[in-house]
Amino acid sequence: MKDNLKTWFAGLPAVPGMLACGVRQPNGKCAGFGDAKIYPSEKIEKLLKQFAELHAPLAAAELSPRWTTWIFEYGQLRFVARPDNCLLLLLVSPETEAAQNLDPLSEKFLTVPVK
Amino acid sequence: MDDESDYLAAAGNAFRALSQERWQVHLADRTEQALKILQTEKVELVVLVVNSPVLDIALLLDSFGQQHPQLKKVVMTATSTSLTGGADLILEKPVSAEGLKSVFGRLGELLDWALPEGFPSPSSSVSLADLVQMECLARNSSILELFREHSLGRIYIEAGQIIHAVCGETAGERAFQKLLGVAGGTFELHDFEPPPERTLNRPWDYLLGEAARQRELSDFRTRSSGAAPAGGEAVSSEPTAQATEMLICSATGEVLYNWQCAAATARVTLMKNMAQRAEQLIPELQLGKLDRLEIQLADSRVVLQPRADRLISVRVAAHLVAHEG
Repeated sequence: MKDNLKTWFAGLPAVPGMLACGVRQPNGKCAGFGDAKIYPSEKIEKLLKQFAELHAPLAAAELSPRWTTWIFEYGQLRFVARPDNCLLLLLVSPETEAAQNLDPLSEKFLTVPVK
Repeated sequence: MDDESDYLAAAGNAFRALSQERWQVHLADRTEQALKILQTEKVELVVLVVNSPVLDIALLLDSFGQQHPQLKKVVMTATSTSLTGGADLILEKPVSAEGLKSVFGRLGELLDWALPEGFPSPSSSVSLADLVQMECLARNSSILELFREHSLGRIYIEAGQIIHAVCGETAGERAFQKLLGVAGGTFELHDFEPPPERTLNRPWDYLLGEAARQRELSDFRTRSSGAAPAGGEAVSSEPTAQATEMLICSATGEVLYNWQCAAATARVTLMKNMAQRAEQLIPELQLGKLDRLEIQLADSRVVLQPRADRLISVRVAAHLVAHEG
């Protein structure tokens, strides 16, 4: 069966080292996975919104990113925005399979159809 | 501190007189005496006169530094022994009143020294870049020699202008940047003698700014590759071609260094914005401190690094991005 956004996204939590992930579809619907205590779905949704707001300052600085990565002491946060306003957020532990595959996962997100 | 008590008394008197009694000079002719003074007095600078090559200078300076980590340490030596570790500055022991006056001037510069914003700050001791800047600002003429186990090279400064640098078989700007890229080591300040050739013409502030840029790039590459720090090896200047622009600004957004960044104002605004957002994100994410933000573009990657005292932006070309994966 051909991947669509929903089935592809459902497989993300199984990647070793994936702490949390979230997606916002073009219609505004959000889905999130993560530790319910540390990263409940409301927090993931809020993060998606916060990162979506980064577009304006990036555009003002004449930067059109394919993705952005916030690298913290104990984790990395990848944010990917598609031209159709579909957004992806990945939160991974450093030096894990998830961290090593951030770029392929982001590339896949940029091409996977919504339906 | 000097075990030659006559010289010690003469130098102490000279420094008191030259400072017009502004300096409080304490004298010690034994290690125990020096350590006792360090325990009881607020000491900013210690001058250790070395008359014998057998004295374990590094150990002694280390014991001084353990009590006062911010203490500035100067070694004046009458020997040609190779000194390693611990001293901020090594001077030749003066044997004339004029020589003592010259040393007094250099000690005063070291005491007054405060690093300007924009140059990466050493944690406690004075770096070679600091020393070069001190000499240039004071419009001194001198030769700075860098040692790490053996002599690595020399920088010639004439009337505040850097006129020549040599590092091994390399001379000129490349040699200067190599020497400034060496972590650790000790420096010896010699009286000026004309160099065999003049290889540097650029202003000293440009050369130091370039050295600061290369150090930042080196740090950035180390972090990006996940490799262990180079352990103080000399920094090669070759990889700089992979970076296409660099901008350093103060925490308040004042541009301190701009290399090929055309949209500097917009980039500064972005860096400040990102730093503010990071402050909001840190408690929410529980992931510790933010190291950097990487912005992947179609043809390059921009890395923003907010630091307590400065914000750094580096753009790296796509071919490097591909290798870093």
